[in-house]
Amino acid sequence: MAGGGGGGEGEPEFQVAPMIDVLLVLLIFFMSITSAQVLKVDKNIQLPVASHGIKRDDKAAAGLINISWDKNTGQAKYKLDDRELDINDKDGIAKELAARKGSNEKYRLLIRADRQCHAKYISKALEWGAEAGIDNIAFSGLNREE
Amino acid sequence: MPSDAGFQIAPMIDVVFVIMLFFMVMAGAVKVEHELKTTLPGNAETAKETEMPDEITIGVAENGAITINEDPVGQPNDKTLEGLYNEMMKMGTAAKQSKTKLLITVQAEEAAKYERVINVLDVLARADITNVTFAVAEPE
Repeated sequence: MAGGGGGGEGEPEFQVAPMIDVLLVLLIFFMSITSAQVLKVDKNIQLPVASHGIKRDDKAAAGLINISWDKNTGQAKYKLDDRELDINDKDGIAKELAARKGSNEKYRLLIRADRQCHAKYISKALEWGAEAGIDNIAFSGLNREE
Repeated sequence: MPSDAGFQIAPMIDVVFVIMLFFMVMAGAVKVEHELKTTLPGNAETAKETEMPDEITIGVAENGAITINEDPVGQPNDKTLEGLYNEMMKMGTAAKQSKTKLLITVQAEEAAKYERVINVLDVLARADITNVTFAVAEPE
């Protein structure tokens, strides 16, 4: 055991080397769990809580639709990843989603909507998915309240 | 002053402690995104023999009230939806015993809030029910 030697003369010395080892291991542990969970935060969207959902799989192919909510106008704004969508161009959006999907049957549509958003606006995004032949839908929520 | 000062361990430990404290605090404040999976309604493979599942419709009203096949199970301000959870657990157990599939359709009114829909989907995920579709009711 560290510090256990010394031949029984006086008090055992404080060992710095094993302490540094432990510190570095702890440091690496906390670094890895924080950096792995950094969100792509869209400040306009306040997600609801979905504590029993499964952790988002960022590796699986998905079309990310962000739906923000304008409290003043009572309207939703859509973004496909970072690009704003024109809701009147239903065919264009469906074509783009279909092109992204390609032949990947596991491709899914990931909806990130504001908690105040009305269901009819969610339905519109699902229609685009249906047009593009995507039937796997996932809704995003936070693991806990902000 | 000696030319060979040597490696100083004390300041290094100070720095490591500070960095570790930072990451420990950050780890506690971190929020992760979870996802709730559903499928679109009306997606059946017709080539295969289809076994008709027990279909249940969960309604989400504009005011946040929750119903199962039009029977009320959740008040608008009830966030945990224990009533819905208990019903779902009962139905899930019954479906397992009778070896049938449970098909849940979450049908929200047009002006129902997304947060309420997620509350319902979260309860279904908690009850381990995976065969869920989502639809929005057309106005009458």
